[in-house]
Amino acid sequence: MQPQTRNHLAFLDRALLNLLEERARLLAEQDVSAPANLEDLLLRASGDFDPERLPAVFEAIEKGTSPSKGGSR
Amino acid sequence: MILRLWPGTPEARVAAITAMLETSGVRTSRSPEMNRPIIATLDKVDSELAGRIDALDEVESVVHPVGEWRRVDSSFRDGPSVVRVGGVPVGGGSVVVIAGPCSVETPEQLDDAARCAHKAGAHILRGGAFKPRTSPYAFQGLGQEGLYLLKEAGLRYGMPIISEIMDAAQLPAFLDHDVDCLQIGARNMQNFTLLKSVATARRPVLLKRGLSATIKEWLQSAEYLAAHGCDNVILCERGIRTFEPATRNTLDLTVLPLMQQWSHLPIMVDPSHAAGIPGLIPPLSRAALAAGADGLAVEVHARPEDAKSDGGQALLPGELAGLVADARVYAAVGGRHLAQQLPRPVGRPTGG
Repeated sequence: MQPQTRNHLAFLDRALLNLLEERARLLAEQDVSAPANLEDLLLRASGDFDPERLPAVFEAIEKGTSPSKGGSR
Repeated sequence: MILRLWPGTPEARVAAITAMLETSGVRTSRSPEMNRPIIATLDKVDSELAGRIDALDEVESVVHPVGEWRRVDSSFRDGPSVVRVGGVPVGGGSVVVIAGPCSVETPEQLDDAARCAHKAGAHILRGGAFKPRTSPYAFQGLGQEGLYLLKEAGLRYGMPIISEIMDAAQLPAFLDHDVDCLQIGARNMQNFTLLKSVATARRPVLLKRGLSATIKEWLQSAEYLAAHGCDNVILCERGIRTFEPATRNTLDLTVLPLMQQWSHLPIMVDPSHAAGIPGLIPPLSRAALAAGADGLAVEVHARPEDAKSDGGQALLPGELAGLVADARVYAAVGGRHLAQQLPRPVGRPTGG
């Protein structure tokens, strides 16, 4: 892998992490859970990311960012 | 020059170094920084004394600011400063949105604007009570009644308030109505008498950039505030006048990374006055946050067509909600976060 590609991936991964942290922060502020609107997200997906894996990804995001996930914060 | 001493330097040595300068006729200012002693010299230091100071073991580095300011220079602190506006932190990774109408007009209009600003997720309520208008025949603001209405609305929705002060004689009214942050408008950026008076109030000040002010002149004005007792200064870029007539002003985003090098002060962006066109405000806001702005100041009005001032540049409530949602994403991507709204007081009925 080219160093530049590695840098781009590292930046994207940090941005993804930051967004997940912000999702968790927003829900924690209001002490609510909010499942992702998967149907809407699948409609917007371009297909570059395997659509079959999206439900599992967002299920994990929902669990990880819910204030009631327990134990990890 | 600014002397950055090593962390842990004994206070006795700090006092001795300060005395070396003061006995030579050089006034000094000590930074409130807790991590290490930092001393700024306010007068010219001759080369012989500068050499002796530089050679001291306690001195880690000597910084020469690029302008005539000292207290607002980035080296006067160990990191970006955070200004608290009625409990809302501005700067240091906390991104805030100031929203409200250009002018306070009526209780109903203000309540509409405050409600939608709060609902959209904005943190601080803005509203002009004393208006600097280009035309003497244009609406000049409600004056003290406007401050009263603004404070009442702020209390109803749990939002600190900010309003522009145009004259030192207005300061008692701003304090009487407990205005959380005093705004110095673009036209008064170099009104040094006003700056000195406002600084004595010990309230946070939002200092807008003059429409034809250089970045150095702007920081000098911030130094005036700091020199007269106000450490809580927020800079606000609102566009400068250029040859381009397509927009009201030209938003100078260059100041964002530059100010972060030169100064520790938080810096916000007012895309409403910069563009003067509502459709340009969301993309300019995203650009500002990507470039490091610590927040946005925007105008919102439920019925812009009825506004008594600057209605043409006001966002609609739904547009403001989209802008705040965008701000959350852009702040997060950059490793920062949208500040938390203060809790809304229980049992306060809405007005209007």
